[in-house]
Amino acid sequence: MSISSAYETFCVASLCVLAIMLVACFIRAVKGPSIADRIVAINMIGTQIIIMIGVVALMIGEGYLTDVAMLYAMISFLAVVVLCKVYMGVYLERQAKEREQGERHA
Amino acid sequence: MLEWVRFIVSCALMLSGIVVLFTAVAGIYKFNYVLNRMHAAAIGDTLGLMLCLLSLTVSALDIWMALKLLLIICFLWLASPVGSHLIARLEVTINPIWHQLPPPEARERGDDE
Repeated sequence: MSISSAYETFCVASLCVLAIMLVACFIRAVKGPSIADRIVAINMIGTQIIIMIGVVALMIGEGYLTDVAMLYAMISFLAVVVLCKVYMGVYLERQAKEREQGERHA
Repeated sequence: MLEWVRFIVSCALMLSGIVVLFTAVAGIYKFNYVLNRMHAAAIGDTLGLMLCLLSLTVSALDIWMALKLLLIICFLWLASPVGSHLIARLEVTINPIWHQLPPPEARERGDDE
């Protein structure tokens, strides 16, 4: 067994396991009862995709794919921050509107 | 010979990383509240990612790929706690359970008595 075929087996096996866990996280993101559940699951999906991009970079022997993984890490962090801010803003705005309507009725 | 040592170290690190990530995914399903689930998910975000990327660093193609992978580890170790903090604050703001708690200074007085 040569070293290159051993690396190929290693990469394919780890990609398969990561893909199964990715589907499990995706089911949690669809099922999750609250918004925070979904954001946690999306964050985990991002982490696993970063690892998968790294494994693919090793498998096809192209070092520049790690740049893509680096950008993916930054964008997934940005997505979490923006989603949290947007949902919090929507909630606070709705609460302010309800309070205003209550005062008008009273 | 040295190549095989590198391969075996890489395999061991990747295997432990995948076990840690599996623990995180199992924790996502086991717990039934967001803040508990976040505790499990943070393990996969920090320790699981570090072990998997260290495994890729050991068998990296050149020095630049290894340095980029180490940079990803540094970045995610800074970014993951910030993201977790924001998610927890969102949950505490939105969920009405947390609005019924007394303010922090009242709780501290209760502990002193």
